[in-house]
Amino acid sequence: MAPRPPARSPLVRVVLVLASALTAWHLFASFLWIAPPSPLREVVPGEALRGYMLPMFGQSWSVFAPEPVNGSHRLLVRAVVLDGGRERTTEWVDATAAETSMIQDTLFPPRAGIQAGEVAGGLKGRFEKLSTDQQKVAGLDDIAPGWPERLAAQMRSLGEEEAVAAYLEQDRRATAYATQVALAVWGEGVQGVQYEVSRQNVVPFASRNDPDASPPARTTLQTGWRAPLVLPGQSQQAFRDVFLPAYERTGR
Amino acid sequence: MSGVVSVVRAVGLMLVELVRSGVAAAVRGIVAGARWGESWLLEGKKALYGIAVTRILLGTSAIGLLLTNFSTRLYAFGSGSLWNGEAEEPGSAFPQIWIFRAFHAVMADDLAYTALYLVLLALAVALALGWRFRLLHPVFFVLWVGFIEANDMLGDQGDNMFRIAALLLYFTDPVARWSLDARRRARRTRAESTERAQISSLLHNLALVALAAQVCFVYVSGALYKAGGDPWSAGYAVYNPLMTNRFGTWPALSELVTAWGPMVAIATWGSILVQLAFPFLLLTRPTRIVGLCAIGSFHLAIAVLMGLPWFSLAMIAVDSIFIRDRTWEAMTRGLRARFAAARAQSGSGRGRLTLRETARIRTE
Repeated sequence: MAPRPPARSPLVRVVLVLASALTAWHLFASFLWIAPPSPLREVVPGEALRGYMLPMFGQSWSVFAPEPVNGSHRLLVRAVVLDGGRERTTEWVDATAAETSMIQDTLFPPRAGIQAGEVAGGLKGRFEKLSTDQQKVAGLDDIAPGWPERLAAQMRSLGEEEAVAAYLEQDRRATAYATQVALAVWGEGVQGVQYEVSRQNVVPFASRNDPDASPPARTTLQTGWRAPLVLPGQSQQAFRDVFLPAYERTGR
Repeated sequence: MSGVVSVVRAVGLMLVELVRSGVAAAVRGIVAGARWGESWLLEGKKALYGIAVTRILLGTSAIGLLLTNFSTRLYAFGSGSLWNGEAEEPGSAFPQIWIFRAFHAVMADDLAYTALYLVLLALAVALALGWRFRLLHPVFFVLWVGFIEANDMLGDQGDNMFRIAALLLYFTDPVARWSLDARRRARRTRAESTERAQISSLLHNLALVALAAQVCFVYVSGALYKAGGDPWSAGYAVYNPLMTNRFGTWPALSELVTAWGPMVAIATWGSILVQLAFPFLLLTRPTRIVGLCAIGSFHLAIAVLMGLPWFSLAMIAVDSIFIRDRTWEAMTRGLRARFAAARAQSGSGRGRLTLRETARIRTE
């Protein structure tokens, strides 16, 4: 016979059962949530799994899968500025290059260095979900106050409510970012901004050691000119203090 | 005729007896298993050194991330970043829950933001040192989650891993070893009641189980997700991200390490195999050493080549629970002995310790 188990108080027994049951549920729920979606998820009724996992245990591990990221986004910004009483269109400024300079060749890259790329990637993804006619609307120039409302109304009249809402959010963010870049580089005389978003895939693996190989062609999209957009609370100085030195470092 | 009947009866009786003893053995097995599980959970906290290392490394990862982003904090998270629309509508669910709202609430105020940032940094130091853990960790956790989730666009999966690990950490006893709290406890003479000690062990061990399962699920599902992709099965997937702006933080190094094809294939297939095999490699000591070294190199490569040092450190922090207390103790003894030997060598003019002296220090 095995030796008799040591005595446990009722309190310990109750906590043992409850805590073990909770852990068992947590393990099962985490397993279902982390594993690729499968019919096994059907054993948990309704929204119980989502309700338990979100937001505290929210996670997704399909990182770099099934295909890892294989390209970089670029965000260029230019502006119409008042220069001695006359309007002048500036050269393009590469905001991604400026920010990328913060994260390259360092062991400890700050998150600040991925913003332009994220803005560009977000906008491009949403733009591609629009219809061809809606994409044309995104390309119209409007540098008068109230442009966001006009842009929204024109796009909505062409249908696809969800895609439009998702795009407008990105357009607003990209314009607000481009405005900060323009104000940092050219100062207060900015009358309008335009940005160009593109993506370029990496040199294919097979040609990586060929010194003459060039990366595949860029896919580029340009939206129309927009009036500058500064969101509430935005500090132009806090933006400029970091962006400008990075931009000057990249020498463009 | 009767002979046949008696044989059939005998076989029938034997079958009944087999089933009966089989059931009895199964019941005994289940009872013994439950008893074993009960005492495993209630008697003694497991992996006390491992979880202490988890605490130290999670704290270090938080300190590292905060210092890395300090000079660009206002640009990326504060008043310079409000173009991102987070102030109008948070991208993550957390800033909408009041206890996680502190950083979100002061985004536009440079002074308050910086003050809160420094408070969070101090709490991360306290976590690494194991100072007042029971009291301060909830404060650290709430502020940390609020900080990292206030800019959804810049987040990554490492933030989720960190949050889940930091939450589970609270139910364990990560300050029993290698902490300032442990020193204070050692001075205290009051003994814990049996009941309290058992419940404390129970929560500690269950949280350890949850943490272990969490990492195993993450690695295995990461492998399953990857296995379906052409670049992975063709053995060159790690090349692609290393050539991008974001994940190729050392362009020259990326070119160097991907120049030789076989190395790329080993790294690509190796990462899938190690992730998939990880839980099984843990089962025996020799395979565990192989598994932990392999996953450690995998994280080290991600840290250096892909510019994700703090994410990698958080993952290594959690993997530390798989190294047994006995091993941590042996490692500490070995380090102490070497340090003492080195000190004796540099301090006294007499020169090196003899081998016997080193061995004596090591066994002490």
